[in-house]
Amino acid sequence: MTTTPPIVSLRDVHKYYGTYHALRGIDLDIGAGEFFSLLGPSGCGKTTLLRTIAGFEDLSSGTLLLSGQDMAGVPANRRPTNMVFQSYAIFPHLSVAENVAFGLRRRSDLNRQAKAALVEDALDMVGLDGFGARAAHALSGGQRQRVALARALILKPKVLLLDEPLSALDKKLREQMQNELRRLQRHVGITFVLVTHDQEEALIMSDRIAVMFEGEIAQLADPQTLYRRPTSRQVADFIGVMNFLPASLTAGSTAASVEIAGLGRAAITPEQCPAGMPTGDCTIGIRPETMSILFDGEPAPARETSGQVHELAYYGDMTYYDIALDGVEKPVTLSMKNLVGRRVLERGETARISWDERALIAFAK
Amino acid sequence: MTGRGGWLRGYAVLYLLFLYAPIILLPIFAFNDSTIIAFPLSDFTTKWFTEIPNTPALVRSVQTSLIVAVTTAVLSTLLGICAARAGARYSFPFKTPVMGFIMLPLVLPEIIVAVSMLVVLMALDLPLGSWTVVLGHTLICTPFCIAILNSAFGNLDVSLEEAAFDLGESRWSTFRLITLPLVMPGIISALLISFTISLDEFIIAFFLTGTEPTLPVYLWGQLRFPQKIPVVMALGTILVALSVVLLTIAEIARRRGIARAGGKDTGGFL
Repeated sequence: MTTTPPIVSLRDVHKYYGTYHALRGIDLDIGAGEFFSLLGPSGCGKTTLLRTIAGFEDLSSGTLLLSGQDMAGVPANRRPTNMVFQSYAIFPHLSVAENVAFGLRRRSDLNRQAKAALVEDALDMVGLDGFGARAAHALSGGQRQRVALARALILKPKVLLLDEPLSALDKKLREQMQNELRRLQRHVGITFVLVTHDQEEALIMSDRIAVMFEGEIAQLADPQTLYRRPTSRQVADFIGVMNFLPASLTAGSTAASVEIAGLGRAAITPEQCPAGMPTGDCTIGIRPETMSILFDGEPAPARETSGQVHELAYYGDMTYYDIALDGVEKPVTLSMKNLVGRRVLERGETARISWDERALIAFAK
Repeated sequence: MTGRGGWLRGYAVLYLLFLYAPIILLPIFAFNDSTIIAFPLSDFTTKWFTEIPNTPALVRSVQTSLIVAVTTAVLSTLLGICAARAGARYSFPFKTPVMGFIMLPLVLPEIIVAVSMLVVLMALDLPLGSWTVVLGHTLICTPFCIAILNSAFGNLDVSLEEAAFDLGESRWSTFRLITLPLVMPGIISALLISFTISLDEFIIAFFLTGTEPTLPVYLWGQLRFPQKIPVVMALGTILVALSVVLLTIAEIARRRGIARAGGKDTGGFL
């Protein structure tokens, strides 16, 4: 990714709507063939950023390069990008084939047969072969999405921009389309930039994810790093579930040491702790699946503590427990797989908890 | 359906009778072989209809009215398209008061519009003629067109236009290929309704017409001659039939447009 020049390159991009500061200094490089996600809560500027790349919004300041070319003053219809809209924007008065062929209208180098063949291929690629003659308004949500994909990909853009393309689909179909989009992206090799507010979707599909809050990129990393090593409490809270425990940090000669409410003293390595963090009060984060309940005198693999089951949620494959620890106000959440022969604890039961200091992450208070 | 409903049903029947009885009388007396408009009816005749083309002043007034109505329909629909599109797509300072202000003629009494326009035209020392009637009619028809086209443009998803632009079309070809076909039913509907309003409008035409009266103004003048009344009735019958046909076409066009855009019907005049 560092050897090939970036397809999309943003430098100190700002966007104002009147006095509202929508994008606050975005620096970003997206590589060729990457599946890149912009993730954040609504109003964080992720859609604005996508529309900026597409050419629907001007930059207030900064530069945007698409494969090395400055896009200042280049309108959306002359950019090597195509977009899949949240509403899919299927032209309701045209057939499926006419929709898909729409972008080829200006291609005078192709004759009618060549265009028809391209449309056929595009429909085939998204699994809609034989749907060409259908009226666009008679399609289901999933089919509309496929038409929108075929219509955008037929032009072989350098970058495909997807604005929350799965948010209108029901859960089952959404999961299916997540896999298909991923497969399609590998197949065509085109750079995909996806906007989503669904952290799970971003983790499943992306090579890299930029988490955005209030017009700024809070963290840019691959899914595993983002999940395991969030650099701020805000990011950690947005991606998955994380327990936050008050703690106190003391610097040692090689490793730092923390005194954690409810868990006790633990040693943490520099990579679990942001550089230059002041000693004293801090917050320790720990994910639910890194802790577990010990059953029937089972020895603890690492560290051990105990607490009372405060509340539980049975999900079928998993059970989520809220455990009240001594000296901690808010119960911590931990998850257990419902393995064969493993019982589900009841509310009020005392549980032995195993935890691992390698799973801890320190945040500034 | 009986009991309390019976009273309401009776009321509904009386109400409809009150609305439509005069219009039903129109064709009855148009085919009645007597110059006196009264029951009992005498013989059936179509001579009043055949007499229409033999009355040159009447034919001329019909021509004037048609020219005025067509011009008004085109002008007010064009203005309506601009206003409705601006209202649906752009935000600008004082948008709400501006949009409200251009809808005002809808509730303004026509007599007020007519008198004030006459005062202005006199003050400017401009000659009255068919064009002044067109001006007045465009003023009152434009709000109707905006009301119809607002729903047509409002139902149109902005991202449809963005998608076409993103796929390489220019602003103009996007408008031609996407916007226009999708709002076309609204445009047809606006054209027909403004045409109908202009065709039978009397007060503004009466004040602003020059030497060539429009049909309603001519008819009003003819009411002084009782022997002409059956001819007027015959013409009225034709006009009622024409209005019903045009309004039906307008409504069909509007509904088809909504169905085509996959939207939900939320209004309309019929």
